[in-house]
Amino acid sequence: MESTIPLSFDRIAARKAVQAERRRSMLIDLGVTLATIIAALLMGFIVIALLGKDPFLAYEALLTGPITRLGRTGRWLELATNLILVGLGVSIAFRARQFSLGGQGQMVAGAIVAALIAIYVPLPPLLGVLIPIAAAMVTGFLLGLLPGVMKAYLRANEIVSTLMLNAIVLRLYDYVLTFHLKPEGSATTRSLPVQPTAQLPTFYELFGVDLGRFNLGVILVVLGAIGVWLLLERTPFGFAIRAIGANEQFARYGGIDTRRVIMLAFAAGGAVSALAGVHLLLGVHRRLFLDFVGNIGWDGITVALLARNNPLLVPLSGLFYAYLLVGGDRVEQQAQVGSELVQVIQAVIILLITAQVLGDWIRARRARTQAEG
Amino acid sequence: MPSPLLVPMSQNTPYIVEMRDISKVYPNGVRANDHVTFAVRPREIHALVGENGAGKSTLMKILYGMERPSSGQIFVRGKPVSIHSPHEAIALGIGMVHQNFMLVPSFTIAENVVLGAEPVRRRLLDYKAAVAITRQLSAQYGLEVDPEAPVEAVPVGMRQRVEILKALYRGADVLILDEPTAVLTPQETHELFTAIRQLVQSGKTVIFISHKLREVKEISDRVSVMRNARLVDTVDTAAVTEEQLARMMVGREVFLHVDKAPLRRGEPVLQVRSLEYVTEAGVETLKGVSFNVHEGEILGVAGVEGNGQTELVEVIAGLRPATAGQVLLCGQDITNASPRQVRQAGVAHIPEDRLTNGAALSMSIAENLIVDRYERPPFTRGGLLQPTAIKENAEWLIEQFAIRAPDGDVPVGSLSGGNMQKVVLARELSAQPKLLIAAQPTRGVDIGASEFIYEQLVRARDNGVAVLLVSADLSEVLSLADRILVMKDGQITAVFDNTPSLTEEEIGYYMLGVKRMSAEAIAARA
Repeated sequence: MESTIPLSFDRIAARKAVQAERRRSMLIDLGVTLATIIAALLMGFIVIALLGKDPFLAYEALLTGPITRLGRTGRWLELATNLILVGLGVSIAFRARQFSLGGQGQMVAGAIVAALIAIYVPLPPLLGVLIPIAAAMVTGFLLGLLPGVMKAYLRANEIVSTLMLNAIVLRLYDYVLTFHLKPEGSATTRSLPVQPTAQLPTFYELFGVDLGRFNLGVILVVLGAIGVWLLLERTPFGFAIRAIGANEQFARYGGIDTRRVIMLAFAAGGAVSALAGVHLLLGVHRRLFLDFVGNIGWDGITVALLARNNPLLVPLSGLFYAYLLVGGDRVEQQAQVGSELVQVIQAVIILLITAQVLGDWIRARRARTQAEG
Repeated sequence: MPSPLLVPMSQNTPYIVEMRDISKVYPNGVRANDHVTFAVRPREIHALVGENGAGKSTLMKILYGMERPSSGQIFVRGKPVSIHSPHEAIALGIGMVHQNFMLVPSFTIAENVVLGAEPVRRRLLDYKAAVAITRQLSAQYGLEVDPEAPVEAVPVGMRQRVEILKALYRGADVLILDEPTAVLTPQETHELFTAIRQLVQSGKTVIFISHKLREVKEISDRVSVMRNARLVDTVDTAAVTEEQLARMMVGREVFLHVDKAPLRRGEPVLQVRSLEYVTEAGVETLKGVSFNVHEGEILGVAGVEGNGQTELVEVIAGLRPATAGQVLLCGQDITNASPRQVRQAGVAHIPEDRLTNGAALSMSIAENLIVDRYERPPFTRGGLLQPTAIKENAEWLIEQFAIRAPDGDVPVGSLSGGNMQKVVLARELSAQPKLLIAAQPTRGVDIGASEFIYEQLVRARDNGVAVLLVSADLSEVLSLADRILVMKDGQITAVFDNTPSLTEEEIGYYMLGVKRMSAEAIAARA
């Protein structure tokens, strides 16, 4: 791409040109993302209309649902908190180009270990929250380490190993809950609630604003996003992760201990993903029950991909995706559009964004017009 | 933009292939061809030269139907055509021999020649007919092959002839040869040239892509020079000198002459003792290799590629485990040490394949420059990376190594081959090594950058660094090295002091295994 650089080489001019180009391409990126969302919404609009439903009603529900009532806003923010935490976790391994699908298992394992402390060990305020959080992170770390070791030293495919570990952890969770945590004689399969000092207070409890179960766990999102960004962009470990992600052979040639870094990237991601589990436990549900995590571990992967594994963009994509999910629920209730259709619209949006179809097309057109001109 | 009419039209000799005003812009905005007009006369050897990235491969891919032009027209035998696939190109009588051969290694030569258009009898491959066809073509065009030998068992030069036969079997009248001599020894190159001349005598037309000007002078009738996506000029080869061609290619005068201070050979830095390497597949690629590299000397390793040079370099660099033997650096045993330990002992390594090993294309120049030292001060302090130090390091090295980039934030992937190689060179030399391993340091690098790289290697040598230079380019080895070691089949077959009387031909005999020094002679000089 020498052609972007003038022949008689004037570094200052070239630098200005490059900086202008960078600004322009950032604006284009932003515009492309917005255009993609609009295009996807339009497609969904047409599909709903073709099915004989009222697309205006459906879209009103989708677009305004999460913000027209405080309770739904709370649901949106609470869900986003979960998705962002998992998204941050998986993005660490993704940056080393390791396709870890272990978010779901790491969440559950983190929750169960945290629950053992939070339910049964009375602790003073603050510590009551911090210790279960730390325990969950350690658990997630260890659970992440396992596929990491298997990948780094035994060349086990991480997709298979993380999926299998998820299955094992989920069954183990059901077992522990049903046979050990469920109180004698309880009719429903659920644990006792966590100690009062272990609760992450909701905004209602703190300020009387009824945002549902939205709670102080949101602090974890802020700390997590900054922490993961610092880890990836400002520590030597993060440098090694990015170098491996960019070109593993190059990293090895440069002297990076690629096996160790890959292993620890899995583990670090597990520690962050486990935060979502502990947030669910201490802030949202405050006890364990069957199918406690729902689909969050998977949706978190989508959130990370949407943000292109950039920890500073994960909160945005998490908010966006949670908005779609909560709005989608509203569409079902309001417009009698089946949940499958809502999911189709969500999928179209995600597909268009991740595939960057529109972006490539716009860039190619732009290159062509420049070339002709 | 008006394109100058580069080639005078002649009523008597209409062009067999004419590409008019061809432009190609890739979707990422890179303009590879810019209003190129290129015309080939029947029965000529037409060389197409230019530095890497000048656009010659793109132009030929368009002609062979592998790429579609953004604008422009193609005429074959005076008729306008549009070529959508290699299949259509072949139907028009255009064949191409790629740099990387596309042969089935386990098939015999005859099977490879007819593959895709096999003679059949009762719906089965008629193997006898295939052999007969191959023999007949081989005799007709003087391209000597053994039809019944499996491709994997024959040397590179013969594989290339198989590719040419394949194209001829499909009825090619115009043959595009993409850098055909890159993989050949001087002797094999000589044979290829004889074959090319015979092809032209029997009515074929040859387009010869190259950036080796001496060969272009030797073989071609006319030559087209490309630079920066444009066709600079098409001239009669006899009317220009190599220097003039070089100037057309780079737009300025170039002297590939290397000034070296007198040799000041010091203590041995690298000592390799009976090194052996067996691949995971069980192939012995290093069979007892022993030699020393001293302070202040450049030891050149010559040899046809694939005779163990790659493995030798990677074993020393810690990228492959030695099966047996020893590697010492200043007396310290670094056999099978990790790449980091090897680097810390004082080894720098310009790898053979910079795209695979030498650089991370999506990372910035600044990040590429610190991959071997990012966790040390000044780049990391108190557990945190120091962006200012990283940036300043990049600015300093960009300046020192004349890397053509606006700043250190530019991804390495956006640089040209030569500038990418300068990034690798800047990193490895700024590590202040005791031993510098340079594997194919100027491969795919333009003349200007090659010259700069030579200067840097020689400067390192003059400053007392031991340099191990591995190159498939004999003239490079001859102009840089103080001693030359020849590798053949995983062994050292000769060691020379580089004196003015040493010729490429002489080295070539050892590269091919025609000659071989006695073990004592090698041991005494290595």
